[in-house]
Amino acid sequence: MNEVQTMPQGLSAAWDTVTSALVSPLPTNALPDEVLCDALALLGGHGLGQYVEGWLLETLQVRLTTSVAPEFWTGLKQPEGESQERDRANALLKAFRNLLQQLEPFLGGLERLGSWQDESRGGLCGPGARGLTERAFSVVRAILLFSPPPVLQERVLEFYSRTFSVHMSQAGEAVEAEEGSAEHDVGSLCPGCAALVHLCWCQEALEQLQELSHILSRLQLLERVSSEAVTSILHQLIEQRMEQRCRGEYESSFLTDFNDWLGQVLGWLSRVFASKVEEVGNDATTTDVKTGQPTNALLQRWHCHMHQFFCRIYVNMRIEELFSIIRDFPESIPAIEDLKFCLERTNQRQQLLASLKSAFETRLLHPGVHTSDIITVYISAIKALRELDPSMVILQVACQPIRKYLRTREDTVRQIVGSLTGDAEGCSDLANELSRADPVTLETQDSEDEGSDPEDWTPDPTDALTDKTGSKRRSSDIISLLVSIYGSKEIFINEYKTVLADRLLHQLNYNTVREIRNVELLKLRFGESHMHYCEVMLKDVADSRRINTNIRDEESRLPVEEQSTLLLSAMIISSEFWPQLKEEKLELPAVASKAMEDYTHRFEKLKAMRTLRWKPHLGSVTLDVELEDRTIANLTVSPIHAAIILHFQDKGTWTLEELSGVLGVPQEMVRRKLALWQQQGVLREEAGGRYTVQETSSCRERADRSVMLIDSDEEGDSNTATQSEQREEKLQLFWAYIQAMLTNLESMTLERIHSMLRMFVAAGPGVTEMDVNELQAFLQKKVRAHQLIVSTGVYRLPKTTQ
Amino acid sequence: MKVKIKQWNGVASWLWVANDENCGICRAPFNGCCPDCKVPGDDCPLVWGQCSHCFHMHCILKWLNSQQVQQQCPMCRQEWKFKEGDTS
Repeated sequence: MNEVQTMPQGLSAAWDTVTSALVSPLPTNALPDEVLCDALALLGGHGLGQYVEGWLLETLQVRLTTSVAPEFWTGLKQPEGESQERDRANALLKAFRNLLQQLEPFLGGLERLGSWQDESRGGLCGPGARGLTERAFSVVRAILLFSPPPVLQERVLEFYSRTFSVHMSQAGEAVEAEEGSAEHDVGSLCPGCAALVHLCWCQEALEQLQELSHILSRLQLLERVSSEAVTSILHQLIEQRMEQRCRGEYESSFLTDFNDWLGQVLGWLSRVFASKVEEVGNDATTTDVKTGQPTNALLQRWHCHMHQFFCRIYVNMRIEELFSIIRDFPESIPAIEDLKFCLERTNQRQQLLASLKSAFETRLLHPGVHTSDIITVYISAIKALRELDPSMVILQVACQPIRKYLRTREDTVRQIVGSLTGDAEGCSDLANELSRADPVTLETQDSEDEGSDPEDWTPDPTDALTDKTGSKRRSSDIISLLVSIYGSKEIFINEYKTVLADRLLHQLNYNTVREIRNVELLKLRFGESHMHYCEVMLKDVADSRRINTNIRDEESRLPVEEQSTLLLSAMIISSEFWPQLKEEKLELPAVASKAMEDYTHRFEKLKAMRTLRWKPHLGSVTLDVELEDRTIANLTVSPIHAAIILHFQDKGTWTLEELSGVLGVPQEMVRRKLALWQQQGVLREEAGGRYTVQETSSCRERADRSVMLIDSDEEGDSNTATQSEQREEKLQLFWAYIQAMLTNLESMTLERIHSMLRMFVAAGPGVTEMDVNELQAFLQKKVRAHQLIVSTGVYRLPKTTQ
Repeated sequence: MKVKIKQWNGVASWLWVANDENCGICRAPFNGCCPDCKVPGDDCPLVWGQCSHCFHMHCILKWLNSQQVQQQCPMCRQEWKFKEGDTS
């Protein structure tokens, strides 16, 4: 009983001893170890040991909520009215210093208790030092940072930004000195702390940083407090730097540059996380400057994070600019390579595709852009995107809209063919591409067997179009890509035939070196058989030259008086092999038609059973016009111009009707052609639609006579029938079918006619390409010509006189 | 006014003086060439029979070679004889 009464007394003394030992700011000097031991043993003996731990944490919590935390926050907010950054930094540090000071006794106590527990002194047991401090720190975090006012982040952010710029200015000093940056000379502001040089607190800031880092890591608050600030600083800085350095700059690579810079940034990070890094070595030296690879796990993590972030920002920026990058290709190769590197590390292909597609659509594919420009951009895109993505998927997907759009432009084929043969101005890409060694033949490209090693097979990226063609069809060859816009090479070959015919008929000088070269190159691409017609055309030119010299020789052997006054040479073509030529009527003056007759006779003698059919409106004539006071020499004009002026030689004044009658050409045409001679000042229009020769020139503008002036519509003139004319003729072919059908079936709808035509005439060339709209337009024309009647969507033939 | 023509470059197409458009054997135009040839004109000439029918030379020769018994014009079944002096 006695014992029972005395117990509480001894116990409470022991409790006091232990608790005061735990929370006393000073180490245990106050009490000798044995006393403590005894007290502990006593408490333990009464089963109270476990409560010591609970009490300690409880006390910590109470202290935190009642005094420590409020004090911390007020301390942080203290220099409220002041705007001095330096003061705010001081306050921040002071607040944390206080915090540490307040908590230090508890931390000490916890450690002591933990170590007792570890040693099981006095029968104590528990989670041990590690577990205890763990628990205590979560209490601290919970109470202090459960909902921290934004001021903490603001202050931390501000402080870190400052130390960052201080660090960077110091780290970058060597570089800046080389660059001879002007900021140093101005001298008024320190580049690090942006204060006047004599007030510079760079060093102080760095020391503060170090202390803060220590305090935070002591309280295990470092990552919690700093991560957010550090992340946002880094993001902001990377973005800012990218904006300054890279935007609009495609001609140099930024990867290494940025890697170096990230290395410097890591130096700062190692200061921020100094205490964690300590085990590895001293602050800034933890980064191996050469590789930029940090050796420490934490820094490694940050490095990865920054790198990833850099890639993402870079890709974002370049995606925005991709159109310009493509336009600037090949100067922009460095940018493409950087982008390729970064794109592999971020999952942004979809974004890139979408953005590029819409860029094409808004900037390129509208009526204001010339077809040749679209083709030029497309070619650049092919070149750039095949660098960017060797699997060609991006190319295929992103350029789909371009191809679709080009299909709707009428002059696409002509432009492509023109630039293939190097005729188009300013676009030699395709001509170069054509003459490249080792061309991809369009024939073999379709074949199933590609002959590549199955080991080299790589799967398509996931964003590939799942069409039947598969990856082997994704060619990167520019010419095959362009040619395949229409899905068939026949269109191109036909177009080339037309272009070639035009050139040959315009030049008329039998000089075909360039054309022969082009045809040979195209043969490599399109295959021998397709270019056969072109070869015959070129052979015709060579034959014509031979025949010409032959006939000339023969002529020159004739007596002088029998020789023709007109020096005629001819381009003799094999009509089956040339594109359809425009048929125009033109009655040539006697002198010319006589010469042609003679020429035909000689040809017939030369080539038995063959004759010539002249195309009087084609060709060219070189002539001099001698007037009373002047001579226009060496004018090259078309036959119709020559015919007109020859008529004026016989008679000084003609009316439009007279000329039209004698030439067999519509008046409108004659008027247009007369414009040339008016321009030359040879003819003058007078009242009543009369044209008269102007023998003496009026003193006003004398046209430069050596220059050939031609009215504007002349230049676009082509000798071959235009596509639409040829088309028209083909449709005309159907007219017979349609008439027959309507005679038998009386009335039919548009769709019916279309499907019937498809069924019956499918074997013929060109039918398959005819769509309903075209047919409708054609039928409408017939309706307007009263050859057809339409009512309620049904076509029928008009009741003719029977 | 006097116009002096220095040079007149004309354009003409050549054609066979034949009584038909297409060869009766290969159905290709006379002004083109027979299926075995690439180049028309001198390289793929026409020949006339005494029956006044004409064909690509290559076509009729092939035809005649395939006729074992009697050599007839494929159009009129008369005995085929080349018309004198017309082939160049």
